[in-house]
Amino acid sequence: MNRVVVTGIGVVSPIGSTREKFWSGLVEARSGIGPITSIPTDRLNIRIAAEVRDFDPSQHFDPKRVGMLDRFSQFAVVAARAAVRDAQLDITEELALGAATIVGNGAGGVNTIDDSYFKLYGQNATRAHPLSIPRLMANAACSLISMDLGLKGPTFTIASACASGTHAIGQAFQMVRMGQAQVALAGGSEACITVGTIKGWEALRVMSADTCRPFSRTRSGLVLGEGAAMFVLEPRDHAVARGAPIYGELKGFGMSADANDITAIDPDGAARAIRAALTDAKINPDDVDYVNAHGTGTALNDKGETIALRKAFGDSAGRLAVSSSKAVLGHSLGAAGALEFAATTLAVHHQIIPPTANFEEPDPDCDLDYVPNTARNSPIETAMSSSFAFGGLNAVVVLSRA
Amino acid sequence: MSDQHAAATRPAAIIDDVRAIVAKSLNIPVEQLTPQTRLDELGAESLDVIEIVFGLEEKFDITIPLKAEDASRLATADKSGGQDMPFSTVGDVAEMVEKLVAAKTAKAAQ
Repeated sequence: MNRVVVTGIGVVSPIGSTREKFWSGLVEARSGIGPITSIPTDRLNIRIAAEVRDFDPSQHFDPKRVGMLDRFSQFAVVAARAAVRDAQLDITEELALGAATIVGNGAGGVNTIDDSYFKLYGQNATRAHPLSIPRLMANAACSLISMDLGLKGPTFTIASACASGTHAIGQAFQMVRMGQAQVALAGGSEACITVGTIKGWEALRVMSADTCRPFSRTRSGLVLGEGAAMFVLEPRDHAVARGAPIYGELKGFGMSADANDITAIDPDGAARAIRAALTDAKINPDDVDYVNAHGTGTALNDKGETIALRKAFGDSAGRLAVSSSKAVLGHSLGAAGALEFAATTLAVHHQIIPPTANFEEPDPDCDLDYVPNTARNSPIETAMSSSFAFGGLNAVVVLSRA
Repeated sequence: MSDQHAAATRPAAIIDDVRAIVAKSLNIPVEQLTPQTRLDELGAESLDVIEIVFGLEEKFDITIPLKAEDASRLATADKSGGQDMPFSTVGDVAEMVEKLVAAKTAKAAQ
């Protein structure tokens, strides 16, 4: 089995779309949440989100080609290019044949769907745009990455709602570990800030109208976000041989299903995924220093996740540093796990724990160390990034210092 | 006159609409529901409560303030946290709807 390392990180995020801006935003607890600007808000009750604000498609795509890409594909391709550049990876014809592209995505091209349906049902248009279907299909992002970079190995999309990005990274890790892919581009992308999507989330009654405060007693719900993160994963030997930068080593991947509630977190299911990741990594609970939590900022998730961490880590839960990046990044559904894996990887790389921003008051139901508001210099040998999705689908990855 | 207006002018009918909406969401016979019936005793899960609230909002054209965690607590009869639950029985629901409809009517009359 190959040891698998992360050698490239590319992000498109509400706090900036370079690795440096992304990391400084997380460390400085600079929240990307603000008033929605990209869509009309007159029919919305919830008018805040963590939008990607500095993204100009014309800077990245040929005007003739840009019409083929829904916003979620634009994010994915830009992040993938950045990851390859960051990894200084030369994609030779031979490597391209063994290069996997695995992208997590929760919703597909909902901007395209919303626009198309508005024209058809709202404005009685008689025809849809000819590129509607290739734009909106859930696999558009991974297909367009493979076309853009010429990657010709195993390529597919993973859809597991808010765990999609983590499932995609875990799957790519397993394939590189087993030698089924020589290198993998993996991550997640989502662009879900549309009137239709937000109305749907409003109706679930889990949205905050002001901001996201994970694990704080004053938390009032989640805030939607958007963005993408893509990674280059490759065998450690391959990375060392070509002198590539190594951010960290993937150690374990665990998955589970709750088989219980369609929306509520089940601490048992979440704890099983955490334990599976520890077992896969062949490490003890004591070995984990930092957990980048799912931490959505809803009353139920944060309490349930705390119970899950206590169940999985037992007495070792007390020594864990746990933080949620969602106060800064919002909840970008299928991209969330990938953006948070970027946070986790950079935490291990820099040996700094990014804080839980917007933390106001401790909650008796959330009694772990959530690294409130201020980043912490702290040795991190091993870290974990976890995602617990609607539908009861859980994915957890473990990463160690290079 | 629409059904909505008829319901609004005859508050006594609200309880019947509430019973019908609850019965439909939970797929149980409407006869089983009295004003004293507790939602948690009907096996309502949190999403059922959210669906019932949605049905009431649509029927009466009102907005019912309820967060998902309240729906969950209602479903499990967990009254922890000390927050006042907006309702727990079918009768409570009807009373809440009646107030919201009255408030809407009063606002419209201004």
